[in-house]
Amino acid sequence: MKIRSPLLAGLAVLAGLALVVLAVVYWAEPAHSLPSWLPGHEAGSGHHHVKHGIASLLVGLALLVFAWFQTGKKQPA
Amino acid sequence: MIVASLISYGQAVVLGLLQGFSELFPISSLGHSVILPKLLGWNIHQNDPYFLSFLVATHLATAIVLFVFFWRDWVRILHGLGRSLRDRGIAADDYDAKLGWLLVVGTIPAGILGLLLEHQLRKIFASPESAAIFLALNGGLLYGAELLRRRAPETDSDDDVRIAKQVGFPQAFGVGAAQALALIPGFSRSGATMGGGLLVGLSNKDAARFAFLLATPIIGAAAVLKLPELFGHQGDGVRGQALVGSLCSAVTAYLAVRFLLRFFETNRLTPFALYCAAAGAVCAAVIPFS
Repeated sequence: MKIRSPLLAGLAVLAGLALVVLAVVYWAEPAHSLPSWLPGHEAGSGHHHVKHGIASLLVGLALLVFAWFQTGKKQPA
Repeated sequence: MIVASLISYGQAVVLGLLQGFSELFPISSLGHSVILPKLLGWNIHQNDPYFLSFLVATHLATAIVLFVFFWRDWVRILHGLGRSLRDRGIAADDYDAKLGWLLVVGTIPAGILGLLLEHQLRKIFASPESAAIFLALNGGLLYGAELLRRRAPETDSDDDVRIAKQVGFPQAFGVGAAQALALIPGFSRSGATMGGGLLVGLSNKDAARFAFLLATPIIGAAAVLKLPELFGHQGDGVRGQALVGSLCSAVTAYLAVRFLLRFFETNRLTPFALYCAAAGAVCAAVIPFS
């Protein structure tokens, strides 16, 4: 199997997995427990950022699908 | 119970009928649902939780109608997506797979922008005055898209093949992102996607078809995401009205999609552009005194 762009595919897998994990963090942790550098962090707030989690999951899955196609056989034109 | 009088069954019928056709006509359903209650003197506000719950139900009905209307197309598209995932690539002659991924690429930016910005934009722009102004601007956007349209030669008789050949992934991303404009009451989601389709070289008919296919997952997902609100305490007192509104919305959505697919075989966005510009201007002038 010929990989078209191994570096790009590798980066997409890493970023995709990180975003899927981030989605779980958004769903599991209230806003005050999120790291301060993460969008949605709010001191003293018990709100769960469900929508941030869905957005993170969507982008993560998109990157994983991109990587999946990048590592597939090149389709004839 | 106080909430029982928040929205009457008569209002539910009017708003449901309005939602069904204005969601698919390029005239902004959100804008109309903000402006109409104000013009009729109804005490209904866009950001009231019970009204949001009502809108969730009517949007879900519209999405179901679209999905059923294009059922055969969705089956082909989903098979195409499955084939491309299995083969880890899109075959040059697999137009169903290409169209499927165009819809995915077009849905992602609108979905993410919607998830992140919907609440803030709705809070800022929920007034009937701003909706009227944006409705007039929506008219300008539709007219501009007709003026600036690219005309590509029509080489295939199959609608989806033409769309798959004409639209590339960057264009699908752009058309999809344009849908986020509809988060501002007054701008039309279907208008933005139809206008975007014209700019990338689709005919009016193909642009409308692409817009309706693109609409189904985004409207459906937004409605499903908020469905718990309808069945939670925010839906208390409006579930019956929401059901009636949804049925009305389903009927007009079905009629609208049938009408528009025929209309755009020979017609353009121009009448809707003129309507939006005129209605927006009149409403902007009248609302401050109503």
